[in-house]
Amino acid sequence: MSRIVATSKRSGYIALAVALVIQTGLISIQVSRRIDTTFVRSWILDSLAPMEKLVDQALQGVSYVWDNYFFLIGVNKENEHLKALVDDLRIKLDKQQEDVAEVQRLRALLSVRDSIAGRTVVARVVGRDPTRSNETITIDKGRAHGVKPDSAVITADGIVGRVIHSSNFFSIVQLIVDSQSAVGVLERSTRKQAILRGNGGRDLDLEYTDDDTDMKEGDVFITSGLDRIYPKGLPVGSIVSVRPRKGAALFKTIVVRPSSDIGRLEEVMCVVDPPETVDVFDPTERSAAP
Amino acid sequence: MARITSLGIAGRLAVIIVATVIVQGILALKLRVFGYFDLPLICSVYYGFTLGNPIASIVIGSFLGLMQDSLSGAPLGTNGFSKTLIGFVAASAGAKFNVDQAITRVFALFLFSIGDGLLVSILGLMADRGSSATNSSDVGNWLLSATFNTLLGLALFGYHDRWSDATT
Repeated sequence: MSRIVATSKRSGYIALAVALVIQTGLISIQVSRRIDTTFVRSWILDSLAPMEKLVDQALQGVSYVWDNYFFLIGVNKENEHLKALVDDLRIKLDKQQEDVAEVQRLRALLSVRDSIAGRTVVARVVGRDPTRSNETITIDKGRAHGVKPDSAVITADGIVGRVIHSSNFFSIVQLIVDSQSAVGVLERSTRKQAILRGNGGRDLDLEYTDDDTDMKEGDVFITSGLDRIYPKGLPVGSIVSVRPRKGAALFKTIVVRPSSDIGRLEEVMCVVDPPETVDVFDPTERSAAP
Repeated sequence: MARITSLGIAGRLAVIIVATVIVQGILALKLRVFGYFDLPLICSVYYGFTLGNPIASIVIGSFLGLMQDSLSGAPLGTNGFSKTLIGFVAASAGAKFNVDQAITRVFALFLFSIGDGLLVSILGLMADRGSSATNSSDVGNWLLSATFNTLLGLALFGYHDRWSDATT
């Protein structure tokens, strides 16, 4: 009996060692980039994301029916017939209002499409990072639609992030608030260049600027185009807090709130074919600035 | 007949694994606070405790972690490594301790959550994909996440125990 237990214990340790070696190997080949592992992620993403999308749509349907019908049943039995009629009309009205809101959002997205060079694709957000270690979302467009890694993702309000992984029909977008994200920006009025880095929360931290002396709350940043990911001139965010840095009073800690509502993304637009050339330095713009 | 039963159990586990990861992704999208919960972790611990089979727990943990990595921006293998280890340790603990007691579950869930956060962060840093520095807000997030996971885990374990008792 003890021999059987010992054997089972040993096989458990062997299985653990094998599994850990496989996982470590996966991490290591991604770091060294010796072997392309994107097919593993693509395969799993293409298998799971459609189910995620299906569940999301089903939940939306259930929530819609619940909010607009079941929740209202039985309030007044005497007026049941009238109420059903009102509910029916309300459902139709809500649906139409939702459609109008969606059209307005899409129209706003299309107006951005006209203002930036390059081809764009509208995508729907179908999932969010299941862990808290990364600020990422899943969208329902992939390589088949022209979306590839480093495609910029934007809304009518401003930039949202960049694609970091794409399968055939879905992509994972790293949001600008992710701690690994950095965006090259210009202060809109003074044209000072800087880099905004995500702080892993809801804001961005200003880094690498040559001069932050006259920066103040409300100053607006736009993309500089220098990172060759985001087209130049798109809104990024505005300063919400300026305070002296702890232990280095000469320097400031400047916090920027993204202009897009990162927590409530529904539809986004991917820039799949960015402009060929990037305007690295435009002296006329600098002289035109106040 | 025994083979059909084994296949049935494996199929049920596969459905549960996929559903866990999908539900986690959907709820994290709908409710930002759900980002603090880690259903795959709770699932790994639960099956580690109840199956009492280290190999099955390792397989379940590996798949849960790998799928979690695929749906996030994390390097493939970081959550896989962590959940594999947690599945194995949970199975070993399940054989040694009485994991039906609430206090044992509270300790285990809390410690496994903290361990998972720590391990994923270390592996992320090694793979050059963690936050730039581990600071006090990370520790605060881990503690918050561990508390949420413990509470949800306790509720789900209790519910699942009752359901299992009713069906057997």
